[in-house]
Amino acid sequence: MKKFKKILSVAAACGLVGASALTFAGCSEQDEVITLRVCSWEEYIDLGSWKDDERITLDNGEEIFGENAIYDEFAEWFNGESDFGFKVKVEYSTFGTNEDLYNRLSLGDVYDLVCPSDYMIMKLLAEDKIQEYSDDFKNGEYATNVSPYIKGIFTEYGWEKYAACYMWGTTGIVYNPDKIKDDADVSTWNILLNEDYKRQVTIKDNVRDAYFAALGIINSEQLTTQQLDSEHLTDLMNATDSETIAKAEDVLKRIKDNVYSFETDSGKADMVTGKVIANYQWSGDAITILDGADADGTELWYSVPDECANLWFDGWVMLKSGIDGNEKRQTAAEAFVNYLSRPKNAVRNMYYIGYTSAIAGDTVFEYLDWTYGAEDDADENKVLPYDVSYFFGEDGEYIIDANSDDFAIDKATGEINRGRQLFAQYPPENVKSRSVVMRDFEDKLAEINQMWINVRCLDVTDISPVTIGVICGAAGLITIASLLYAFRYKLFIKYKPKKGFSKVEE
Amino acid sequence: MKGLRFNRKHLCIPYAVFLVLFVIAPLFVIVYYAFTNGQGHFTFDNFVNFFTSTKTLGTLLYSFAVAIVTTAVCLVIAYPTAYILARSKMKKKYVLLLLFILPMWINFTLRITALKEVLSVLEGNISVYPFLNSVIGMTYDFLPFMILPLYTSLQKLDNSLLEAASDLGANKATVFLRVTLPLSVPGIISGITMVLLPSMTNYVVLDMLYNNTYIMGSLIGSYFSAYDWNNGSLISLVLLIIIFIVTLVTNRFSDKDANNKGAIL
Repeated sequence: MKKFKKILSVAAACGLVGASALTFAGCSEQDEVITLRVCSWEEYIDLGSWKDDERITLDNGEEIFGENAIYDEFAEWFNGESDFGFKVKVEYSTFGTNEDLYNRLSLGDVYDLVCPSDYMIMKLLAEDKIQEYSDDFKNGEYATNVSPYIKGIFTEYGWEKYAACYMWGTTGIVYNPDKIKDDADVSTWNILLNEDYKRQVTIKDNVRDAYFAALGIINSEQLTTQQLDSEHLTDLMNATDSETIAKAEDVLKRIKDNVYSFETDSGKADMVTGKVIANYQWSGDAITILDGADADGTELWYSVPDECANLWFDGWVMLKSGIDGNEKRQTAAEAFVNYLSRPKNAVRNMYYIGYTSAIAGDTVFEYLDWTYGAEDDADENKVLPYDVSYFFGEDGEYIIDANSDDFAIDKATGEINRGRQLFAQYPPENVKSRSVVMRDFEDKLAEINQMWINVRCLDVTDISPVTIGVICGAAGLITIASLLYAFRYKLFIKYKPKKGFSKVEE
Repeated sequence: MKGLRFNRKHLCIPYAVFLVLFVIAPLFVIVYYAFTNGQGHFTFDNFVNFFTSTKTLGTLLYSFAVAIVTTAVCLVIAYPTAYILARSKMKKKYVLLLLFILPMWINFTLRITALKEVLSVLEGNISVYPFLNSVIGMTYDFLPFMILPLYTSLQKLDNSLLEAASDLGANKATVFLRVTLPLSVPGIISGITMVLLPSMTNYVVLDMLYNNTYIMGSLIGSYFSAYDWNNGSLISLVLLIIIFIVTLVTNRFSDKDANNKGAIL
């Protein structure tokens, strides 16, 4: 017993010393450590550990190499070279879906900096959960390096004070050109209903992407024959009235019977192994798939349907619940976003995750040229000048001499609607003009989710009488058999004694 | 000082704390959400919704269908296997038993991914037979849980009982039907419980093998991703009650064999 007390008192003493050490640490201004809680998508930042042959040497002599995870390098830089007057420790965690993040926030998890998608930013903004960026941020590395195109859209939607765009892209269809009967098939969302590719196409397993494709199919005729201005287009592709939802339900039920699967992550592997020939994807994942297939010797392409594409953004937002009025914490969070916005780090992330960074600038452009630019001695007929000026700045000309084999050019209009990595990464003008941002469902969420459940669940009234008969029959047989067995099965089994024994009458 | 004296009972404090924090408290949370609406007011709406919606009832039925067929297939495969393993005098039978348990040591996702590839080779396009694939996947996953209790109950079966039956003139079929089978019922019951209940909600297998139809687990997930914790919790509660009833029923069968009680849950 004495020993036990001793242990207790030692433990208590340790606790006291520890607590006082912490208090003292808190008191001294110079060594204050702020823990920055960052939460972002899985596999959405360069984690380093590049192999030596992955080192990127750009034509202008710049070298890019990922040694450690970016957030660790940020902490190293912040605590070492910079002069903020306090230290930072980064706690980096990940989430799987926007809804997952939102549920965690409502359960009381606290983060300072998160990276949700456009519609979730709208939802968080509407709920007044987002902390505004400070005035200093307007002169920071993000503000100077961000693409004017992205800046324009964020200003248009009123997000520029609250969110810093991280990655962006479109949605489209990854496909295997060798197995497609007609190129026109992959230029429409109707491929999801195309009987020629029955059980060979996959769709995303989430209600928003599925709903968007359904809207594309419902409005297909109007979208491909009329030239809608962007406002009309946005409204049309964000329709959530009950009539549209009912139509979408019908379309999605037919899609369910026609596609290979609703998938969340397996699409990449199925595409590379050739189980499916077309696959609804986000542009960033599309690039990863295309790269993976290239390494395996299969050439895949990316197409943005003629009807409409979903233009999406993931952006860094600071949360009021995490920052909690603490200026140092906010400074650290903003420094983190600015650190990510350094062109070199943007390139590292792009190289590592395949998505397109919102950061423009010469280094990023050099990287694109390094990756996609044709060799100097390439055949002139094979070179296609691909214009990305809209993204890198209207003032200068930003044109990449790309390989023309990587694009499918419509002979009549001269437009590019299908292509390979560069096309997926930076969509051309015509694709951009038919892309819309998908808004939050807001109060229609429950109705649309019910629609999704209706699509995915078996309805009792849909079960055929034959199936019911078979089930009831089987259940009945099992019940009768076990009852008979329980009542000593005398009725239906005759027991013959072994040789040499005779049956004794009971 | 007397109150602080350490005795053996205090050893269960960690478990009691665990029980309260992670079993009892969450249960209350589930019940709270199940009978409230989004605004936190008491309501029976979720309950009524569940039993009036043809979709949720259909899903319940579908889950049952998958689970019952899986359990039946497991039983049909596992009983002869366990019987042979337990009754034979093979020298290497432990190696064989190990082979059946071995898959449990491999990560679940990896196993199902491998199965997906095998099925793709066998069937060509696995999306054509979603129900069959789900049953195969679940059987593959849960077979050891059926074999083990059966093996245990068959192995400890007293040989002298079988010899006595045989001496009294019973042929092999009679010995099996009247002695071996009744005595292995507790094993069968605990095997069924261990397979039936998890296979009703294990939607990961269905997702990975491309069954586009929801079962109970995926339905709960879909409510949660629309921030509707109330309906999701109610479904969990209904499942909990079903499991409770099944356990009550099965416990009646195994009461005779006190040793086996522990194996059921």
